[in-house]
Amino acid sequence: MAASVPTAQPDGGAGFPPLRRPGGALRAIIRNGSVIRWLGLAGAVVPVLMLAFVLVTLILKSIPALRYSGWHFFTGTTWNFGAQYGTPVTSDGLTHLPGEAFGALPAILGTLATSAIALIIAVPVSIGAALAIVERLPRRVASVVGGLLELLAGIPSVLIGLWGALTFGPFIAHDISPVIIKILPFLGSTAGSGQGLLTSGLILAVMIIPIIASTTRDLIRGVPLLPREGAIALGMSDAETARRVTLPWVGSGIIGAIVLGLGRALGETIAVAMTCGVALGTLPTNLYGSMITIAANIVNNLDTAITDKMDVSSFAALALMLMVITLAANVAARLLVRRVSGTALPVGRGL
Amino acid sequence: MAKKIRLAYTAAALIPLTVLAAACGSSSPTPSSSSSTSSTASSSGKTISETGSTLLFPLFGAWQTAYSAADTSVTITSGATGSGTGIADAANGLVNIGASDAYLSSSDMSQYPGLVNIPLTVAALDVNYNVTGVKKPLNLNGTVLAQIYTGKITMWNDSAIAKLNPGVSLPAEKIVTMHRADSSGSTFLFTSYLNAQDPSAWASSDIGTTITWPSAPGALAETGSGGMLTACGSTKGCIAYLGISYLTKAQAAGLGTASLADKSGKFEAPTTKTINSALSSFPAAPASGAESLINSSAGYPIINYEYAIVKKSQPSAAEAAAVKKFLSWVLTTGNSSTYLSAVGFESMPASTQTVAKNLVSSISG
Repeated sequence: MAASVPTAQPDGGAGFPPLRRPGGALRAIIRNGSVIRWLGLAGAVVPVLMLAFVLVTLILKSIPALRYSGWHFFTGTTWNFGAQYGTPVTSDGLTHLPGEAFGALPAILGTLATSAIALIIAVPVSIGAALAIVERLPRRVASVVGGLLELLAGIPSVLIGLWGALTFGPFIAHDISPVIIKILPFLGSTAGSGQGLLTSGLILAVMIIPIIASTTRDLIRGVPLLPREGAIALGMSDAETARRVTLPWVGSGIIGAIVLGLGRALGETIAVAMTCGVALGTLPTNLYGSMITIAANIVNNLDTAITDKMDVSSFAALALMLMVITLAANVAARLLVRRVSGTALPVGRGL
Repeated sequence: MAKKIRLAYTAAALIPLTVLAAACGSSSPTPSSSSSTSSTASSSGKTISETGSTLLFPLFGAWQTAYSAADTSVTITSGATGSGTGIADAANGLVNIGASDAYLSSSDMSQYPGLVNIPLTVAALDVNYNVTGVKKPLNLNGTVLAQIYTGKITMWNDSAIAKLNPGVSLPAEKIVTMHRADSSGSTFLFTSYLNAQDPSAWASSDIGTTITWPSAPGALAETGSGGMLTACGSTKGCIAYLGISYLTKAQAAGLGTASLADKSGKFEAPTTKTINSALSSFPAAPASGAESLINSSAGYPIINYEYAIVKKSQPSAAEAAAVKKFLSWVLTTGNSSTYLSAVGFESMPASTQTVAKNLVSSISG
C-alpha cells in the first residue's frame, strides 16, 4: 500500500506537478523492496511477540496462585476469594487471605460444556442454513437470509446477553425445559431459573451460527458445478449430492469454520456472564442449573479480586487455562483438517 | 537512508510492546511507578480524578456538578467502576480518589501502605421483595433471611416467616432468591448482616463482595443494582437486596421493603430516623475512620459509611491541596440534605466528621 504512494515527502516548492518530485533515495528504497520487507517482518513479528508477552505475563502472574493451590487448581471445586477482612496468613512462604481456595474445575468444565452445547446446536443448523442458501432458496430470498445472518453476526454480545437474561432465559425455564424434562428425563429433573448451562449454551449457539454458516456458505459456493452435476447424473438425490459430494469437497474448510465458532464460544465473556448464573464452585452437572465459566468468573468478580494479589494471581491462572484450552482446540482442529483434507476429494473414493 | 528506514520500522514494531510493558509495569505499586503516576494523574492540581463505588457514583456526580460550579479552576472526573477497582486505582496512583462502600481491610493496608479511608457519608441497604398481595412492610431477621438464601425456607407462607409477621396473610408462593452476579459492596453488607445476626445460620466465611452462594432452588444472579431491581420487579416471589438509593425506584416497581431486626430483635424500616438512631448507637468512629455499622443495637441494622480511599502522599503539593479542598467541601457543604436526600443517604455524626477532617488534613503533596 505504502509503495503506491511515493509522495511521502512534504511538498516544499510549489510550481511543479508533484508527479516526478519524490526522487532518488526514497523511491529507490521502495523499488528495491526493503520497505515492504521490513513492513512484512514487523507484521510477522509483532503478533508473535504480543502473544509471547501475554503468555509470559500470565505465567509469571499465575505462579503464586498455582503454587498456593497446587493440583487442587485443576481438580478442586471450591472457589473462594477468602475473608477480605481477615488477617492475612502466611503458609509455605505465600501470604494469602484466610479461606482462599482456587478450584477451577467447575469453570473449566463449564467453559467446555457451554461450548459443546453451542457446537451441537450450531453445526447442523449452520450447515443446513448454508446449503439452503446456496442450493435451495430462490436467489432473492437467499440474499435476504444471507444478509440477516451477517446482521446477526454484527449484534454486540452484550445485547444478546441482555436478551438472554431478560427474555430467552425465562422462556427456556417456563416453556422449553419442562418439555425437555418430559422427553429426556435423564438430563435433569428441575427446570431451574432460566440462568445456567442450557441458556448459556443456546445463547452461544446463536452467536456462532452466523460465523459458521456464512463461512460454510462461501465455501459451498466455491464447489465446482461439474462434480455436482456428475452426482445428479448418477441418479443421486439432492440430499445425497450434498452429503456425498458437496460437503466432503469443503470438509476441511467447514472444520476451519467450526473452529472459528468454537474459539468465539470458548472466549465469549459478557453474554455468558449474564446468563450462566455465576455459580462459583458449581459443576455443570445439571443442564438447567446455574454454573460458571472461566470468562464469566473473571468478568464478574474482578472488582473483588483486584485488591488482593493472590486473587489477581488466581485470575491470571484462569486466563492461562482459557488460553491453553483455546490453543488446544486450535491444534486439534489443525490435525483434524490435515486428516480430512486428504480425503476431501470424492474422486476415486467410491460411493 | 535504508538503515534509517529500517530503524524506523523496528521502532514502530517495538512501540506497542513497550506500551504494553509500561502498562503492565505500572500495575505493581513499586516506587518506580511514581514516574508513570505523574503522567496519568495531573500534577497541575487542575484535575481531580475519581473511580470506584457504583452506589456512591450518583451522589458523587451531584457533588461534582455543584463543586465545579463553585470552583471553576478544578475539573473533576469520575467513574463507576466498583469499589475494588477504586481502591486499586487509588493505591496505584491512577486516580486521586477511590470510592469504596467498605473501609480498607488489614490486607489492603499491608498490600497498599500509605492509603487512608475517609468516611464521606452514610448509606443503607434495603431488603426488597415482590410477594403477591403483600404491600405492607414484612418483618424479617438475619436467621430467616439466611434460611431463605440457603434454600431451607422455600415458600413465602413458611411458618418461620409467618411467625415474624402475625396478622399478615402470606401467599403460598415460591421464594426466588436474588443475589448479585458481579462483585458488590451490597453483597458484602448483606452477608455481613446475616452473619452478625446469626453466625450459626450464616458462616463468617460467606461474607464478602463475591461469595459462593448456597444453591437455593431457582436462585437468580443479577448484574448490577439496576439488573436486580428490574428482575425482581418482573419475578413474582422474589427477594433481593438493594442500596437505599434505589428505594424510590423499588417502590415505583411495586416492590415491598422489609423491616429488618436490629440486634435486640426489634424490626426497623429504613428511614432517616431509624438510620440516625442506628448511627448514634455506635461508638464514635476510630481515628482510622474504619468502622462497621452492621447489626446496630437500635435503629436500622444495615448501614455503612461510604469511603474516599486516598493516597496520603499525592504526586504534587498542588494536587494534594486540590484534593483536600474538595474533600473538605464534601464533608461540610456536600454533607447537607440538598445532595444526600435525593439518594437516601444521611450525613455523618459530628464525631465522625471530625475524624474525617483529620484524615483529610493528613494528605500531603
